[in-house]
Amino acid sequence: MKATFKSASELLFPLQYRGKALALLLLQPQRRLHVREIARLTGTVAGTMNKELDRLQRAGLLEKHRVGNQLQYCANQQHPVYPELSALLRKTIGLTDVLTLALMPVAERITVAFVFGSIARASDTATSDVDVIIIGRVEFGEAINLLYDAQTDLQREINPKVFSPEEWTASLVAQSSFVQDVLLKPKLFLIGAQCDLDQLAELGQDRPA
Amino acid sequence: MTSTNLLNLAKIGQLDPIPLSMALVKRMLMTARQRLRDAELTQNSDETRFDCAYTAIRALADIGLHLQGFRTSTSKPGHHQTVIQSLAHTLDVDAATVRVLDGLRKQRNLADYDGELVTTAALHECLEQGKILLGRVENTLRQRVDWESSGA
Repeated sequence: MKATFKSASELLFPLQYRGKALALLLLQPQRRLHVREIARLTGTVAGTMNKELDRLQRAGLLEKHRVGNQLQYCANQQHPVYPELSALLRKTIGLTDVLTLALMPVAERITVAFVFGSIARASDTATSDVDVIIIGRVEFGEAINLLYDAQTDLQREINPKVFSPEEWTASLVAQSSFVQDVLLKPKLFLIGAQCDLDQLAELGQDRPA
Repeated sequence: MTSTNLLNLAKIGQLDPIPLSMALVKRMLMTARQRLRDAELTQNSDETRFDCAYTAIRALADIGLHLQGFRTSTSKPGHHQTVIQSLAHTLDVDAATVRVLDGLRKQRNLADYDGELVTTAALHECLEQGKILLGRVENTLRQRVDWESSGA
């Protein structure tokens, strides 16, 4: 049996919530986000994320701001390790984060987005393309132009595949071999999480094939 | 006036100079129109429709190159990419649109060689872009004296 592959980011940030929170906030230090937003964008549970954000804030890595009755977090750029830590994140967890950031302007219209293919399987070579599936109300041309600059950041070509939620569910019902293959193989979630995919699949079960 | 970008591509052998033939342009235009009509036929699979619309886009981009006195050198790899990227210099297509067209080219490769499915979003984009590019080519041709005299 093949030994379980651990990426550099998994080894360096074994606590999933910590890695995700740091990547999201340190790679876009100008943004202040509230807990629910952070949880949604990272596909995590708000309650657990809240505790992690609190820990990171107390350690001085994040700043906490109260806006009305909302708590917002952002990176503390004055922290002595901020430059090194953000560089480390960019190079490890960075890939998914660069893509999530690029999709930000249309995040409201996306149900779920993830990387599939060789990068998600961690069997990529230096020249592998980044295959992305976006399920939501986004146009193909829109996705291409949003992801265009990320190609330069990542030094890789990005191929988005855009589905409407209905089309995705219909492909599942029709047992499309492509979609079934994607479901079985590893994914790196950019927006939303596995539960959002499960929900789309459940919608299909109510429908006749 | 020929853009220096096109001349540079010719220098490295990506493009070959050819004498302008309005009869050939006319045939290419007919191909593009026919493929776009085929792409509208909903009884075809999405893959076939996408393929037709993409072929139309390529034929139209080829017309753009031809009007500048070039064609892609098919002995060189990546001639689809070359003809699409050259649209900025042949038919004055904006950069954002060239990116989308190049994205469609990649989708076509993934569908043809990796068996990936063609999504409705990709098909819709390909059809729309094909129609817009057809309009652009027709407009360009209308402004040419040699097109009128060719009786098209």
